[in-house]
Amino acid sequence: MRRRALFVTLSCLAPVVFVACEEQTPVGIGPGPLPGEPVSVEVTIPWSDFASALEVFGGYGSPEDLGQGVIARQFEALLDARSLLRFQEYPDTASVRDSTGTIREDSDLTYVGGRLVLLMDTIASTNGATPVALALGRTTTEWDATTASWDFAVDTINDRRPWGELGGGPALEVDTAVWDPAAGDTVVFQVDSTTIAEWSNPSDLSTGARIELLDPGFRTQFRGATLRLDARPSLRPDTIIELLAFVGDVTFLYTPFPTPPTDGVRIGGAPSWRTILDLAIPEVIDGDPEFCAVVECPHTVVPGEISFAALRLTTRASEAAFQPTDSIRLDVRPVLDRSAMPKSPLGPSLVESDLGRAVPADAFGATPGQEIEIPFTAFARDLLRGFDEDGNPTPGTLALLSVIEPFSISFASFDGPGSGGEPVLTLVLTIGPPVELP
Amino acid sequence: MMPRAPSIGVAAIVAAALVSVVTFVAPAEAHAQSLYNAAGLGVPLEAVDGRARALGNLGIGLGGGAFMPTDPGALGRLRVSTGIMAAQPTWMDFRTPAGATGSVQGTRFPLLGIAYPILGGMMSVQIGSYLDQNYEVQRTNTVDFGRGPIETADDFRQDGSISNLNLGYARMIGDALSAGITVGRYAGSLDRSLTRTYGDEETTDVDSYVESGTWSYEAWAFTAGVSADLSSRARVAVSVQAPTELDAEGEAETRGSDRTYSLPVQYRAGASVTVSPALVVSASVLLADWSDVQRDLQGAALAGDQNGYGIGVELSRARFFGRTVPLRLGFRETGIPFTFDPDGTERIISGGLGLELATSGDVVLAGVDLAVERGHRFGGGINEKFWRATISLLASGL
Repeated sequence: MRRRALFVTLSCLAPVVFVACEEQTPVGIGPGPLPGEPVSVEVTIPWSDFASALEVFGGYGSPEDLGQGVIARQFEALLDARSLLRFQEYPDTASVRDSTGTIREDSDLTYVGGRLVLLMDTIASTNGATPVALALGRTTTEWDATTASWDFAVDTINDRRPWGELGGGPALEVDTAVWDPAAGDTVVFQVDSTTIAEWSNPSDLSTGARIELLDPGFRTQFRGATLRLDARPSLRPDTIIELLAFVGDVTFLYTPFPTPPTDGVRIGGAPSWRTILDLAIPEVIDGDPEFCAVVECPHTVVPGEISFAALRLTTRASEAAFQPTDSIRLDVRPVLDRSAMPKSPLGPSLVESDLGRAVPADAFGATPGQEIEIPFTAFARDLLRGFDEDGNPTPGTLALLSVIEPFSISFASFDGPGSGGEPVLTLVLTIGPPVELP
Repeated sequence: MMPRAPSIGVAAIVAAALVSVVTFVAPAEAHAQSLYNAAGLGVPLEAVDGRARALGNLGIGLGGGAFMPTDPGALGRLRVSTGIMAAQPTWMDFRTPAGATGSVQGTRFPLLGIAYPILGGMMSVQIGSYLDQNYEVQRTNTVDFGRGPIETADDFRQDGSISNLNLGYARMIGDALSAGITVGRYAGSLDRSLTRTYGDEETTDVDSYVESGTWSYEAWAFTAGVSADLSSRARVAVSVQAPTELDAEGEAETRGSDRTYSLPVQYRAGASVTVSPALVVSASVLLADWSDVQRDLQGAALAGDQNGYGIGVELSRARFFGRTVPLRLGFRETGIPFTFDPDGTERIISGGLGLELATSGDVVLAGVDLAVERGHRFGGGINEKFWRATISLLASGL
């Protein structure tokens, strides 16, 4: 009986205890107990005080990785580009309604012709509303989609074979067509039965389509291509049916290949360019009049004071033939072993957005001189501390690159050290007195 | 056949539960329940049980045995091994000097302990609360460091408390006098952090700034007390608690400096008189002058005294459903030692009852004491009104 009384009593009292167990803290008594107010100040560090050894490396990825075609003729009086396509195996069966009206599988197909349809990229193309003529040819030289360039059909280790004619030649003419942007974003080439037959064997490395621009002064780009095949089925020889063959390889060749800049930063392109620089967060800041007006100088920076750190770059116009037509998305990653460049592995992206830091295309063309900040605050703290939160040493080299490599034939350019818009380091420091006991 | 007194089983189970709570809950559960936590060393917490709370008592001089570190003499009047746990939920409404109002709530466990007879007396281990220092304050501002004005929010948090672990011994000297001593170790920690945030994630990518420090507290306290029966109806008790200085030592990455604080000697006296067989009157006083801490403090806080008194009456023969259920009423007034303006005061009206769940003779094997307090703290423009419940569970074993 007494045990029951004990149990009942404790059971009744328990909720009273725990109903208030959600702990709360009084807030807002006023300014009295607050410690000293921190100072927030921005300071700009010139290149020579935080960075060195800027170097531009190229050759990352291949135009094939882009999965798109670029064609140009004397664009900006300079750039020529042609695209090469190779197709997957053609369909070997088709469902056909026979003379009795029954649908049956027919594996005896005769290809009698077709059409190559290109889906043009209206944003990446520079012709605007101007119609341009394109030519479709058939390659006759063995080529390797990964290593083919304007000069070489194959350029692998111990196997370098030039084209018979520079730029993917010689090629047999197949058809020409006009792309009128006002009429749509597709271009259709008629393909004869002989060419269709030639392209039907993807294991023959000499086969393929070469597409070039006939009108000079433009650079155009297509996002995809489809080969529409006209086939005569054995079950209904009086009927032509249309089947699809998809692109297996697509790449582009261009000339001239840009040379690396001697006084600037380059990011992007196909193959891609990366810019590497050594970085050190200054441990002591002194001499900046605005900074020293609010903080006692010299000031020794501690990692926790860095509230914001960014590399501030100034855009410059890229070479005219390689100016972007769409936004360039920049990324920053630590270089884990600079001595292994250009093949050093890179660390994780320091840019918070998965799509990188977007910079409008006109910053590298019509309106250069724009200042672009690429933040890497947490990395700057780790760099000053010498190690990250896991205790691993922080690499002192950064790579500036495109989020996706390659992303476009065009690339971003920025002023380099020694120029008017040389890269600078922007720091926002929050400096406060130590928290003391009451 | 006389009903058999509950065996040691029930009491042992409850005692074991109490020990478990002592082990795992610990007095670190003390949480902020006053705006005065922001001042100086915070708000003192008293390790007293539900009976003392209900009687407005300051932890000394009540009848029977008692289990409070403030009354070492009463420990010697316990006759069997005993465990105690007190829980204390609080609901408080406050008004700041700026006129802002709000409510907070929380629970703490101000007293946990066990006592065991040894060497003709009673040895005890108690864990009690001593100071509560939790608070949070915010400040908003606008800064412009070259990229346009950005709103900032400074959030200052102080998370800390001090508890004491007491080892005590007391015994009867003759039939009327009990004397006891307690050695206490103050321990705790304090985290203070200031976080400045800039705008919000959509408007700025400037990271927050955090400056913080963590200190550990250490001190010793020695308490001696006697409890004497002047007659069969009157008891008086006194105690003196003499602490060493409180050392606050920062951890390795703390930039703030270490400090030492003077702690006051606390004098307590109490008496209870059985006026009639059903009515017991009690009174107690406390003298604790914290003003010497002032020279150790930085900032705007003022150190004063905690002096106070409490009076109460107990209707000891009240019955409820055939059981003896003592009813208690009390009043107490004490100073608030740390404020932002002189003369901080706490006044409490209290009431409560006791339930003896299991007894053997005049020994309570399991009991519950419940107190409900309505309190008012004021001074320095701060106004706090609170409801506070104290539930103490006591279990004894023969």
